[in-house]
Amino acid sequence: MSKVLMTGSEAAALGAKLSKIEVLSYYPITPAFPAMERLSKYIEDGELNCKFIRAESDHSALAAVLGASLAGARSYTVTNSQGLLYMTEVAYHVAGLRQSVVMGVANRALSAPHSRFPEHGDAVSQGANGWIQIFSENNQDILDNTIQAFRIAEELRTPVMVNYEGYIQSHTQEEVEAPSAEKVAAFLPLKRMPVMDINNPQGVNTVTSPDFYMDYKFRQNEALEKALTVIPQVSEDYKKEFGRDSRGLLEAYRMEDVEHAIVAMGSIVSTARLLVDNLRSQGKKIGLVKLRVWRPFPGKELYENLKNVKYVTVLDKNIVFGVGGALATDIKAAFYGRTEMVINSCIIGLGGAKSGVAEIKQAVDSTEDCSESKNSSVWIGL
Amino acid sequence: MAKELPIVPTATPGSLAEISAASSWREYRPEIQEPGKVNPKVLFFCPEGALFHEEGIIAVDLSVCKGCGICAVESDGIVMVPEYTGVLGIFGVKEGSK
Amino acid sequence: MIDKINLEQLPQEDLFGPGNVGCKGCAAAIAGRQAMKVLRERTMITIPASCMATLGGNNRRTTWKIPFYHTLFECAPAVSSGIRAALEVQGIKNVNVVSWGGDAGSADIGFQALSGAAERNEDIFHVCYDNEMYMNTGGQTGSQTPKTALTSNAFLGKPTNKKNMLAIMEVHGIGYVASASIAFPADLMAKLKKAASRKGFSYIHILAPCFRGWGIPSDQTVEFARRAVYCGLWELYEVEDGIRKRTVEPQLIPVKDYIFPQKRFSKISAEEINRLQQQVDDYYGKVGK
Repeated sequence: MSKVLMTGSEAAALGAKLSKIEVLSYYPITPAFPAMERLSKYIEDGELNCKFIRAESDHSALAAVLGASLAGARSYTVTNSQGLLYMTEVAYHVAGLRQSVVMGVANRALSAPHSRFPEHGDAVSQGANGWIQIFSENNQDILDNTIQAFRIAEELRTPVMVNYEGYIQSHTQEEVEAPSAEKVAAFLPLKRMPVMDINNPQGVNTVTSPDFYMDYKFRQNEALEKALTVIPQVSEDYKKEFGRDSRGLLEAYRMEDVEHAIVAMGSIVSTARLLVDNLRSQGKKIGLVKLRVWRPFPGKELYENLKNVKYVTVLDKNIVFGVGGALATDIKAAFYGRTEMVINSCIIGLGGAKSGVAEIKQAVDSTEDCSESKNSSVWIGL
Repeated sequence: MAKELPIVPTATPGSLAEISAASSWREYRPEIQEPGKVNPKVLFFCPEGALFHEEGIIAVDLSVCKGCGICAVESDGIVMVPEYTGVLGIFGVKEGSK
Repeated sequence: MIDKINLEQLPQEDLFGPGNVGCKGCAAAIAGRQAMKVLRERTMITIPASCMATLGGNNRRTTWKIPFYHTLFECAPAVSSGIRAALEVQGIKNVNVVSWGGDAGSADIGFQALSGAAERNEDIFHVCYDNEMYMNTGGQTGSQTPKTALTSNAFLGKPTNKKNMLAIMEVHGIGYVASASIAFPADLMAKLKKAASRKGFSYIHILAPCFRGWGIPSDQTVEFARRAVYCGLWELYEVEDGIRKRTVEPQLIPVKDYIFPQKRFSKISAEEINRLQQQVDDYYGKVGK
């Protein structure tokens, strides 16, 4: 395998192409559009045998992809921020109908006020919609996660969002190792599961009474819980096949013998690694947990990795108004009654606000400063 | 324990008529009094598909007919007759109802 | 030319109908039954939120005998576009892919996806069954409600005109646009058959009275659909590749014979009736015969 310089958008498009998507639909939005244009070019150049539906809106784009999936095609879309919000209604539908759709999301802040810069607010807005959500730290992750997403989605019959950040990843080149099309094809055998099938007609999504609705929802949630074992298996298979370890649900980085741990997801993980290396060299017992999968939430696995630390600095590139950072809130809920550690929710980098090593250091310091409250929250970089 | 259900919420084709209770809504039912006069076009005006023909003779499937009366308006030879012969109280029973 | 449909030779079996939970005398169900007589087994239908979506099934049972999907309100033509793409990619041919909306799911909340699919000239067709109100939520006003009609949220009558969907769809430049009525099944079926046989996007707008919303007895559903045509207010025509043709000549009964018996028009003024009659007279005087 050779390394090639490519943007995150190109990595997302290449991942979808290698996964041999059959139907594509999207509605242009910034910063997801370069991935869209690249996919359309693959199709027009004859490199990808895929039908493209030029939807007139984000809502219709996901609806078209859903229709294609129901009729048995491997289907994909890309969007972000307002586009994802506009798709929300359909996103719930895709999950409720258990369709194996994969969606790339070039995370961007939500309006208002208008911003086109990176953060995780759009992904977090979808935290209850029934999709599996995987976060990518770098462009290699985007490619690997996209390919694995199809395998996970098709095995669990549950849709998967592959998150990567706008600009920081979508428009920035990094070295990416691309697997061969043949190997990916072997990793992702196409098993059609048409629901809209002329040879086996069925009524889809009929009016459902209280006797049935709750049971369907129970099964849907069961699939999400099963994802906590399926995702690490797929990651393991991928490692065997392609030699790269995606680390399943999360990665523990320099977590041996630590007092203080940072928990983060997405591109900020790379920045946090620098700080951890730096502080470790000064003798500070600090480590990092990179959360790869946010939905389903791997609370148990996080606890196993964090149970012995004194301080947890959670970097949340999102804000749930009136509550705090989504990731910290989930961690606190998962750890309830089991821990004496300080869990500090650090709201950081909203709407593209600076979130470099210095800001993460500030977050780390704030956690150790606030030990009088074990459940604290700070905004970094105001 | 959750019920065993299909993964995708789906329904079995054509199975609704088996359990439909909509025919119990009927207050009047169509009676084909003069089969020779029935306009075959009326088959296409029935919302339920309750009218059918056997060897040219049109008949009504009362298990799905809701008694709207369109067929009696649209064709000669069909008359709507009351479902009830007695006085129907709050706990009354319809005579001849399924 | 409209192909002749011989009603007596159509199959008896209903692919939609028996056991549906529509109101008695439901014209949406009549339209669905008539359509399925000609579209037959190799048809996939998507229906956005509407009476038609809910009356066709519940829980594990449906009256439909073809693949049917109750979609979200805004997007049935987009879903159908996706279905067609998936069939093409799998090499599955000779399937009618239909989206079938009410007036809201076609002209109002569903208009964006409809317009998009039409502009892309998707190889699907859309049917709007129009009862001129939002009947699935109890009968509120929508864009297809005629001026002066009373609805559950317009006690003084709708102050504005009905949006002309057929004209709007025609200017999308699609190959086939037609109006239809449940009172003229042969005409309706011929138009559906034509839409199904053509490549590219077609639009059919069916007037399907709702006796509850219109304030008429349930047995008058077909009669009032017929009067709408005969008085000249609902013209039956088609535009095929730019050629416009009236398919049923109206007898031009007085407009008031259509309007007055309907309770929804109980507050219509004499001036408005005269205006409608004048409009019909002018139109058929100029364009007709």
